[in-house]
Amino acid sequence: MEDKAKMVGEVFSQVASKYDLMNDAMSGGMHRMWKDDFVAMLGPCRGMSIVDLAGGTGDISFRMIDALSSQRKIVGSAESAIDTHVTVCDINAEMLQEGRRRAKNDRPAVVDGISLQWVQGDAENLPFPDGSVDAVTIAFGLRNVSRTWKALSEINRILTKGGRFLCMEFSQVKDPLLRQAYDAYSFNVIPAMGGFLAGDPQPYQYLVESIRQFHDQETLADLMRDAGMKHVTYKNILGGVVAIHSGFRL
Amino acid sequence: LLQVLACPLTKSKLTYNEETNELISEEAGVAYPIVNGIPNMIPHDARIIDQ
Repeated sequence: MEDKAKMVGEVFSQVASKYDLMNDAMSGGMHRMWKDDFVAMLGPCRGMSIVDLAGGTGDISFRMIDALSSQRKIVGSAESAIDTHVTVCDINAEMLQEGRRRAKNDRPAVVDGISLQWVQGDAENLPFPDGSVDAVTIAFGLRNVSRTWKALSEINRILTKGGRFLCMEFSQVKDPLLRQAYDAYSFNVIPAMGGFLAGDPQPYQYLVESIRQFHDQETLADLMRDAGMKHVTYKNILGGVVAIHSGFRL
Repeated sequence: LLQVLACPLTKSKLTYNEETNELISEEAGVAYPIVNGIPNMIPHDARIIDQ
């Protein structure tokens, strides 16, 4: 258990700055679209308190800020009052520093009543009070958590009544033909790309393995229900290469 | 930030120690460091406060 956590820490320290490049190469640029859809699905609104987990470099949170910025500040609050909180919580300090670096250019810590904050934390022991968060998101991060059930339990704990959990993650492809093509791509092309672009195939071998070992769609949905979430649903992208799961605390 | 965070161990309130630049959890008896402006709320990395 400790081994996996350490390995994950090392893997991400290595890949922090090359993260985007590899994401683009591996998904043919599609990961951007997936992330756009993911945030659109949440439909972030002013007044919400949102926690984005494992989102160190800011991909998801920046999209949230963009969506929120186009909405008007809640009427009645004082000039300097913050009505919306977005917190990025990641286990890796380097990823967070990278995210904060990118944010400094476009998105200051507080703009027009929306705050963007960075916290180093563990999904299995979330540093947030019970029932304090309206939405928890995690994009391509849940598979890196050692004990999925523990993270889900913590996520459910911090959600308010009516709060929503949205998870985007690599999942299982059922169709045999598609599966064959996908496996060939994953096991051959991806580590080779990693070796070429990032100089080290190992993190990408880890990536491919972690995808293969992660829970399939139904299992993850059951785990979410076990954690107390209701109205648990999921939808597949690319035949199951990626799945988006949704659950509520009611 | 203080409004938003809680101690990951006890889930209780935190206080800020300006001198040491740490977030203190009295209930857990630990202090979480703030490194380069980012609080490290990993229990493993917290400093135990002598009482």
